[in-house]
Amino acid sequence: MAEMEILIQQCVNALSLGGTYALLALGLAVVFSVLGMINFAHGEILTIAGYTVFFAIVGNVPPILIVPLALLVAMATAALMERIAFRPLRGANGTTLLITSFAVSGILQMLFQNLISTRPRPVPISASLTGAFNVGPFHIGVIQSLSIFATFAMVGLLTLFLKRTMLGIAIRAAAVDFPTTRLMGLRANRVILAAFAISGLLAGVSGLLWIAQRGSVDPLMGFLPVLKAFIAAILGGIGNLTGAVIGGFFLGAIEIGLQAVLPESVQPFRDAIALSLVVLVLLYRPQGLFGAAHSVRP
Amino acid sequence: MKRVPVHILAAGLAGLIGLSSIPALADDLVVGAAISLTGGLAYADVPAQKGMQLAIDEINAAGGIGGKYKIELKLKDSRSDPAQTSVAAQELIDDGAAVLVTPCDADPSIGAGQMAQAAGVAAFSTCASSPSLPLAVGDHMFTNFPGDNVQTTVSAKYAIDSGYKNAYLLMSPDTSYTMLPNYFKTVFEKLGGKVVGEDNYSMGQQDFSAQVTKIKSLSPAADVIMTGAYEPDFPAFIKQLRAAGITAPVIGSDGIDSPTTFALGDVAEGVVFSTAGFAAPGNPLDAFNKKYKAATGSDPDTIYIAIGYDLVKVLEAAVLKADSVDRDKVWAAVRELENVQGATSTITYKGTDGVPLRQVALVKVVKGNRELVLQEAPDPALVPAPKL
Repeated sequence: MAEMEILIQQCVNALSLGGTYALLALGLAVVFSVLGMINFAHGEILTIAGYTVFFAIVGNVPPILIVPLALLVAMATAALMERIAFRPLRGANGTTLLITSFAVSGILQMLFQNLISTRPRPVPISASLTGAFNVGPFHIGVIQSLSIFATFAMVGLLTLFLKRTMLGIAIRAAAVDFPTTRLMGLRANRVILAAFAISGLLAGVSGLLWIAQRGSVDPLMGFLPVLKAFIAAILGGIGNLTGAVIGGFFLGAIEIGLQAVLPESVQPFRDAIALSLVVLVLLYRPQGLFGAAHSVRP
Repeated sequence: MKRVPVHILAAGLAGLIGLSSIPALADDLVVGAAISLTGGLAYADVPAQKGMQLAIDEINAAGGIGGKYKIELKLKDSRSDPAQTSVAAQELIDDGAAVLVTPCDADPSIGAGQMAQAAGVAAFSTCASSPSLPLAVGDHMFTNFPGDNVQTTVSAKYAIDSGYKNAYLLMSPDTSYTMLPNYFKTVFEKLGGKVVGEDNYSMGQQDFSAQVTKIKSLSPAADVIMTGAYEPDFPAFIKQLRAAGITAPVIGSDGIDSPTTFALGDVAEGVVFSTAGFAAPGNPLDAFNKKYKAATGSDPDTIYIAIGYDLVKVLEAAVLKADSVDRDKVWAAVRELENVQGATSTITYKGTDGVPLRQVALVKVVKGNRELVLQEAPDPALVPAPKL
């Protein structure tokens, strides 16, 4: 392949990986913007979406229903997390909430290991999703294009929701000033629950894309995506939804770029270099690329 | 009413607790297992433990080893944490374990193995395949799985015999199979092959588009791709590789001997991997699989179950040979074992440095099923020395 073609191909790669990261980071950022907490159990919502697909296939659920079912379960999981683990701690300081989210994550992982299996469970994805199509000289994977498409679709829908619906406007208002929002007569529980449900939906979509890539669901698989999402969200400016999306694409570009240009002998240090670049950005912009405290501008 | 002093109550309670746990008889073989029932290594240690338990139940039901020595398994969850593994190992040794079983990975096994080494107890990793593990610990450390260097000697020779000349290697510094593609490289080059490209990946990254783009641009093109990647990386890699239209054959290792690989459909068609055994009608592994199904109601979903069974068969053979459950005698007997028939293979420790001589099976994925390519013990002269 000619140099130029490789470059364009790698750009498509970066866009696709960045899209997945953006969806993940957006899920974290929605909750953070309202509650000021990072939900480290976000990854387990991906895992639960994956197990839903696995059990749906085993239970012969019609294929057309599997995706909506997985997304519903993901939203319900996030809402339950809020109701069971975080609502009783409403108003506690950030550290308490952070530790609680770690505990939720740990408990869920143990439950998956003990109640389902310690072994990964295969999730056969139909061959139509694993293929690729050609655009000129470029091979574009179906999953790759799906993740780019899903990112833009979700960002678009979320923007509409936040700008055009009462609940969306309430979430934005809560992100700016929660006490005042409550004084306006909005119920805190509804706003927070909605934020969690949205983050669950985002986790469900990224979970499905993640599972489609890996072909299996594993009790401990939630950790890495939430870590990437965390980095992307910090990079973009935590709590800022636009920032989360840009941070995701930025992280994807760094990772693909380094993989493409670094010589073999330096490759093992790729993650270290990528994270150093992130630190470098944060040194110059401690609030992240788009971070201004308490702002939601999707 | 006169009050009973607290310390008397406590003593009574302690006495009751003491009575309730029946002490091991002098003629029991006490096996201490400091393995991971939870955490990142549970995927391998839990199946291995199931296999061990099946063998122990079978032996004890028949009256013990040689009709004399029953096996008592003491199990402590090491939670996939090296520090916790060492603590559990020390407790088990203090508790009278004559043999120690350590997790399916070199890192926690080194710490626990050193405890065993100091106490003169033979230690076995359930299924670590790193051949450098016994070197890092000492003469009391044994592995129980075909070593990475042994597996890749068989797969590299197969690659050369199949006419492949240019290999691409995909490896990761942070997986259990760090050195595996390097061993492959050593043998492949020794036999006249050439490595035309190699790349690293981070475990769990799930995105191989950059590597795949590189493979496409290799000149000369790779006619075989070898990797130590396993779940979740391997399925992601092979999908993206095939989606990019690259049809070069792929060789993997025992890490992909998993139901996921066989559920991948067309993309995994033709993938060849090395593993510990192959169930052919009537052979020992087939018999084991049937026995396991009869006992548990489900088919074994990983070779690690049979590997756990093998471990206990080795202990049985050692106790028979020593005619004793004394830890020194058992250890000495393990070092002299030859051709012990396990579920997956015959197993020999005599003349080795702790990594058993075993056969390796090369398995091909054909229409979602496994097909045997070959099963052999490699030529020892070809096997690369362990690299630390």
